[in-house]
Amino acid sequence: MPSPSFSLNIGLMEARLRKLLGTDTLLPYWLLLPTLVFIGVFFLMPLFNAIMLAFRADNGAFTLDYFKKMVADVRFIETLKYTFLLAVTIVPLQLITALAMALLVNTGFRGSRFFLYLFALPLGISDLAAGLIWLSIFTQHGFLNSILYSLGLIERPIYFISYQNIGLTFLAVVVAEHWRATAIVLVILVAGLQMISKDYLEAAEVLGARGWKKVWYVILPMLKPSLQSALIIRTIFALQTFAVVLALAGNIIPVLAGEAYFWHFLYRNSHIASAYAVFLMVISIGMTWFYLRFLRSRMEVIRG
Amino acid sequence: MRKYGILAAALFLSAFVGFAAQEITWMSTQFVPIAEAQFVRNELLKPFAAETGIDVKFIGAEYAEFVSRVEAEYEAGKGEIAVLCGLHGDFVSVVDALADLSGVAVGGTISDTLMKLGRMGGKQAYIPLMQATYLMVVNKKALEYLPEGADIWALTYDDLLQWAKNIYEATGMQKLGIPAGPKSLLHRFIHGYLYPSFTGYQVLAFDSGAAVKMWEYMKELWQYVNPAAPTWDAMDTPLLSEEVWIAWDHTARVKQAIVERPDDFIAIPTTSPDFDAAAKLIEYLTTPEAQVKILQGVGFFPVVAEAAGAVPTGALQILAKGVTAQAGSPDAIVSFIPGGISDEYKKIYKDTFFKFVIRGEPVDVKFLRAQATRLRELYLEADAPYPAPDGG
Repeated sequence: MPSPSFSLNIGLMEARLRKLLGTDTLLPYWLLLPTLVFIGVFFLMPLFNAIMLAFRADNGAFTLDYFKKMVADVRFIETLKYTFLLAVTIVPLQLITALAMALLVNTGFRGSRFFLYLFALPLGISDLAAGLIWLSIFTQHGFLNSILYSLGLIERPIYFISYQNIGLTFLAVVVAEHWRATAIVLVILVAGLQMISKDYLEAAEVLGARGWKKVWYVILPMLKPSLQSALIIRTIFALQTFAVVLALAGNIIPVLAGEAYFWHFLYRNSHIASAYAVFLMVISIGMTWFYLRFLRSRMEVIRG
Repeated sequence: MRKYGILAAALFLSAFVGFAAQEITWMSTQFVPIAEAQFVRNELLKPFAAETGIDVKFIGAEYAEFVSRVEAEYEAGKGEIAVLCGLHGDFVSVVDALADLSGVAVGGTISDTLMKLGRMGGKQAYIPLMQATYLMVVNKKALEYLPEGADIWALTYDDLLQWAKNIYEATGMQKLGIPAGPKSLLHRFIHGYLYPSFTGYQVLAFDSGAAVKMWEYMKELWQYVNPAAPTWDAMDTPLLSEEVWIAWDHTARVKQAIVERPDDFIAIPTTSPDFDAAAKLIEYLTTPEAQVKILQGVGFFPVVAEAAGAVPTGALQILAKGVTAQAGSPDAIVSFIPGGISDEYKKIYKDTFFKFVIRGEPVDVKFLRAQATRLRELYLEADAPYPAPDGG
């Protein structure tokens, strides 16, 4: 229930706005205008420009050369491989962890709020900073090696970040990325959990569902829309992962977003950089379509 | 106003001569990082303004912006920028727009070899301001493993390999450092040092038999390079943390290590220096005092003979000694940074490196040939001369 004073204020503001902007029919459009302008100027226009850059040569002619060059690049296959490998490893891992954390927080035990804030903490840290924090842990003379050494577990530092041991380097990136970006999934899932009406859970209990059964047959199906949003957001972000990988793995693990950056800033060819960006966008759209198609929330699941 | 005659001569367009304000603009592709630009504005230009009454507005610019602005002002016949500062390669593409600086006074003695670099298009297109070079920095702990008979001041590539190997065999650690991160200057090591040393050329012998030998050498050497090297953009941090004992990098990128721990390091030469000549005529900047100031502030080296002997405080003397030994070495090969071509050339050198050395694939002449073709194409597309030692 919204408090009376709150709705009164909104009402007053609305009346004033109506007076200011004219008829009722126009009002919604006026209110949408700033958002539309913002999206148009800062999102659609650059998007359009990037697409043009990827397909048009300097003389204005349409060309697929930049895409051909992208695909023929010696690093392309490797880059594609690592980008997908990272997404495929990180996203499910994050989903499971975030779900566990969300269920824990949602039980409402004493101090659960504290844990919610604690879990959400990495949200406030920029990705590059997060990468550097983990670098100071994994580097040859970093915290992890120091601890292992002082415990007498190793004789000399382990090269956690090494082109000779890509598996270990990959693991370091996964750990860092998992720490950094799970919170966003958690926040979405906690919000979703709180929207599930207590009635369903009580009904389930009356019918004898306990513990895991309740989670599996009631909570998870009801949480599907939130899971879907979380999956879409995380997958797109995972495909774009860049700063953490750059800070931790440099040239050892190349990713698509990184190539776009290097082509633009190091090799100064914005056409090929845009080709990478457009390619990433197409993959992201494809993944989003996939999730929307195959993770549709079906109410009948709950009935059954 | 007293010094204005000198400044006017530094302008790259005659149209500027009538421009009589007390403020001039200096555009530069160097000293762009915030800390360096701050140093230029506060430490370097403030005393100049106090002395002459001329305020200099310093603007840092990327190469693309630099060229397009110079061209635009040249075509318009009038402009705002009075003085330019850039790498040798930055000027190659805008030679027409540069004023002839012969006869302009400099604040110290600049050697003829260096001055000659600035003679392009039948004029003195620029005056060398500073030189940047690359060198090896060595932690003193590495000295006891130096191979027998090796002279640290005239180290050969074979000595280096043996040295790194000795350390590895004794300590079990890979203590050699060559920056190979995404923003590292690895391409300079390959096209400015390895290629000229092994093949005599940067471009022309890219796929030669000597080049194959060179890549084989690199693969062998890389066994003793710290495996985290592909994540490093600069060697100062790994040197300070002792993740490496021997490191190659740009002087400005190792300066911090030497400044922080001057007693631990010495600098030694490799075989061929790479000059980044910057053009700036203002007499003030070529005075020994200003040159030393720039060295202290940003780690670029003086070109003025008087300043070479006058490097004042302790730590930087170590760097200076290494640079002097390198440039003075009798078999030194001078290589230039390619200019006027697409920056894609960096990728060609780096990609070849990653394929053979990091990914450990066998040295493949066919691949080398394809890369060489692409490299030459870049020069042809831009109609740019091959940099020294290749010609041009």
